[in-house]
Amino acid sequence: MMDKLYLIARIADTRVALRSRAINSVVTVGTPVEVPAAPPHVAGLFALRSRVFTLIDPHVVIGLPAVPVAPGQRVVVVDVAEHGYALLADEIEDVCFIDAAETRIAGKLLPGWARVADAMIEHRGSSLLVVDPANFITLPALKAA
Amino acid sequence: MVEPQFLGRTGIAMDDLLNDFLAETAEILAEAGGAIVAWEADPADRAQLDAIFRLVHTIKGSSGFLALPRVTALSHAAEDALDQVRRGNRPANATLVTGVLGILDRLGDLCTALSQDGVEPAGDDRDVIGALAGDIPEDAPFEVAGVPLRRDDDFSAELQSWRSIRVPLPLLDSVMTGVTDIVLARNEFARMLRESGADLSVIASFDRLSDSIAGMRQSVSQMRMQRIDKLFAPLPRIVRDLAKDMGKKIAFQTSGGEVELDREMMENIRDPLIHIVRNAIDHGIEPLEDRVAAGKDITATISVSARQSGNQIEIEVRDDGRGLSPDALTAKAIASRLLTATEARALAPKDKLDLIFRPGFSTAAKITAVSGRGVGMDIVKANVEKIGGIVELRNEEGRGLAILLRVPMTLTIISGLMVRAAGQYFAIPRGAVREILLENGDTVRIDRLGGGELATVRGEQFPLLRLENILGRQRDEGDDNDDRALVIVRPGQGQSYALSVAAIHDHEELVIKPAAPMIMATGLYAGTTLPDNGRPVLLLDVQGLLATAAIDASEAGRSHDRMAEAEAEAVAARNAVQLLLFRDMNSRVRGVRLPVIERVEEVPASALFESAGRVRAQIGDDIFPVHAAAPPGGEGTLKLLRLYDGRSVLCYPIAEVIDIVRLPDAVQPSAAPGLIAGVVLVGGEPVELIDPFWLMEQYAAGAPAPALRQPLCRLADDHDGWGGNFLAPILRNAGYRVALGDDASDEAPDVLLCLTEEGGSCGHAGDGVPVIRLRTSIAAAGPEDETVYRYDRQALLDALRRQVGGESA
Repeated sequence: MMDKLYLIARIADTRVALRSRAINSVVTVGTPVEVPAAPPHVAGLFALRSRVFTLIDPHVVIGLPAVPVAPGQRVVVVDVAEHGYALLADEIEDVCFIDAAETRIAGKLLPGWARVADAMIEHRGSSLLVVDPANFITLPALKAA
Repeated sequence: MVEPQFLGRTGIAMDDLLNDFLAETAEILAEAGGAIVAWEADPADRAQLDAIFRLVHTIKGSSGFLALPRVTALSHAAEDALDQVRRGNRPANATLVTGVLGILDRLGDLCTALSQDGVEPAGDDRDVIGALAGDIPEDAPFEVAGVPLRRDDDFSAELQSWRSIRVPLPLLDSVMTGVTDIVLARNEFARMLRESGADLSVIASFDRLSDSIAGMRQSVSQMRMQRIDKLFAPLPRIVRDLAKDMGKKIAFQTSGGEVELDREMMENIRDPLIHIVRNAIDHGIEPLEDRVAAGKDITATISVSARQSGNQIEIEVRDDGRGLSPDALTAKAIASRLLTATEARALAPKDKLDLIFRPGFSTAAKITAVSGRGVGMDIVKANVEKIGGIVELRNEEGRGLAILLRVPMTLTIISGLMVRAAGQYFAIPRGAVREILLENGDTVRIDRLGGGELATVRGEQFPLLRLENILGRQRDEGDDNDDRALVIVRPGQGQSYALSVAAIHDHEELVIKPAAPMIMATGLYAGTTLPDNGRPVLLLDVQGLLATAAIDASEAGRSHDRMAEAEAEAVAARNAVQLLLFRDMNSRVRGVRLPVIERVEEVPASALFESAGRVRAQIGDDIFPVHAAAPPGGEGTLKLLRLYDGRSVLCYPIAEVIDIVRLPDAVQPSAAPGLIAGVVLVGGEPVELIDPFWLMEQYAAGAPAPALRQPLCRLADDHDGWGGNFLAPILRNAGYRVALGDDASDEAPDVLLCLTEEGGSCGHAGDGVPVIRLRTSIAAAGPEDETVYRYDRQALLDALRRQVGGESA
């Protein structure tokens, strides 16, 4: 059943369905601590329940300019390879079960989205990109390598 | 009973039993090895023997239960032999000890095989069991000179610790992580409470919770801690075996075994420590004949001591061997092409010593089987630095070497210096910080040259890095220029630089966690930490900053000022008088200038005796006066300081040597001349300074002081042997060498003594050699008679002194 659970959010100006398996929670952040000289998609560090999380700006991963972090902004907290990350989200819409099957992506995407999106899914009359949150974190590292 | 072949395959319960047995046996073997060597040093120590017996018995018992026939047979043989000794049927000698150690080794091998295969391997142990029975003749008993390796109460405490349960390490780690998180959560909660202005009752109950969390954190840290004894346990055995192989006599001592260290740290320094001890035995301690030639005690001393200093543990391995020779090291480095001769000349003495840490460097003239196995000090250093520790050398050429390992007590909590730059905080590991200075301070000069910056601090030059520049940030406009500080960072041996930061904040104990991989990949950060204010802080990687800035921070040949300064310092250190601190027989702390001391002797109390109203000590074939009112009597040994004034020796009994320190400049002189020349303050404590001049004066009078060049006195016409038998001893006592008439000597005498009154045969004097004639009658022949009555000792000596020019005065 968990496989069917998605978090619907607007990330980098695009509505996406995030696979929920890796998602820890959705929280709000204050002002993050900057990490000088870090890769551009690292928006900073913040502490949550005594853990330090690395804040990721998906805009940069997609190839868009970075957006400043607004206090009180909501982030999607994910665990990838035993490290805690948080994805900046423009808007969190819903967590819901989607019975429809994931389908192959039809049509041409921007290169940034083509790298992170795994599939498409039909939800309440619109198509959403299905994204594994880990793609936002690991991909730039691969790109840099 | 389970058949052996099923062992380890029959299910979890059996695996657990076997694992427990293996873990326990490994500990017992390490303990027993050390205990046996200690016992060998003092075979009369019944308690030690009993303890060893119990240890072996434990192995036998457990192995029987697990059906391990070889282990059982081996431990039974050892137990049997030890029991014979306990019953007095068998002497405790080297054969026995070597035999038992052989069995322990075999048991160790079996355990290794067991842990790999889960099955006891087939094999024959008759060789080691036979050796124990004494079938194989052994050379003369090997003597381990020794100080008891551990106190008895330590040992019983160790036995108590068998009453414990075993917990898998990962479980322990997860508890540790959990508690660390609780602590961090508490910090965050505390901050929120403060901000919310909660009422006092809430804060009070939170404080209670906070206290119990602190207590729990303490206990959990202790769970991971082990007495460093565990690390020391195998060392006595290693020392004994190696010393025996190499024909060296070594007294091995450990101290500070009660100091506790994180288990994981312990694993990390085990190999470096063993390597250093092996090195000390192999390279440090000279062969017996060299030690004798150097006037050292034949029995060398290696001591391993641990002590806690703040959040760090210091482990020192000290030997009294030959030390390191900077010149020999340099020559060796040049020979092995690690260094050119030009580079070598530019090295400061300390840098020459550090050559031993270069990869590919081996100090031994030839590679030996013991320590020259390709594992060098570079590996030791790398391993220690990997865990945030440092290695220091304290060398006294010809007198010994001390190697100091300084490691953090735990891996996860470090002491950090918080600094600010570009409007945010960063942490620097405190261990790498050498000094902190204000950038505008008088001691700091900053020069810009060719786009780079250079900081000169008291004549010492450092490349200057500005943290904002390395991080690619702008300076924060809110920063006050007067706050800017220089942190002198020493990221590793022989490297240093000045890091300029906007301000220094404070010191904090920090729980360090790794940062996300893409942040670690920048090479600038070593991790993240969450201080009490709840804002994450990045820990700077002081080595990585260097790499990013791409500067050469090597100290070698950096500054001539500094080298000159270092030289001057070294000269000053050589010129500075050192003070030997000791506790005298009345437990007073006193000091004496080190150069006055020829050496420290340890003699049996019976070597001191009283004769002709003076206490004297027999040391080897010599007898020396001792500054003491009466011989101490009793059993045991005592230590004597041998004071030497270039001519004669005086022994001064002491209880123990405490330390060697630099003699302070300020000496408060005593009012009247006497044993105590004055009082100085050493480490805030008054120390009485012994006056060697006064001491020597007291004893020099009667002492036959041998002159540097003793005048030669020739006895002529000694027909009846009176000269040789009666006169010569008196003359020798007075400091003359005596040649009898018939000795064919080429050396012209300084004075000629004629034993006959008739002028006759003293004719061959000639050459202006003064002549003293002795007469047999007490009365002089007349006022012109210059002869000396032969039993007038004083007149004779006076006459000699006049003739020889007072050389023997």
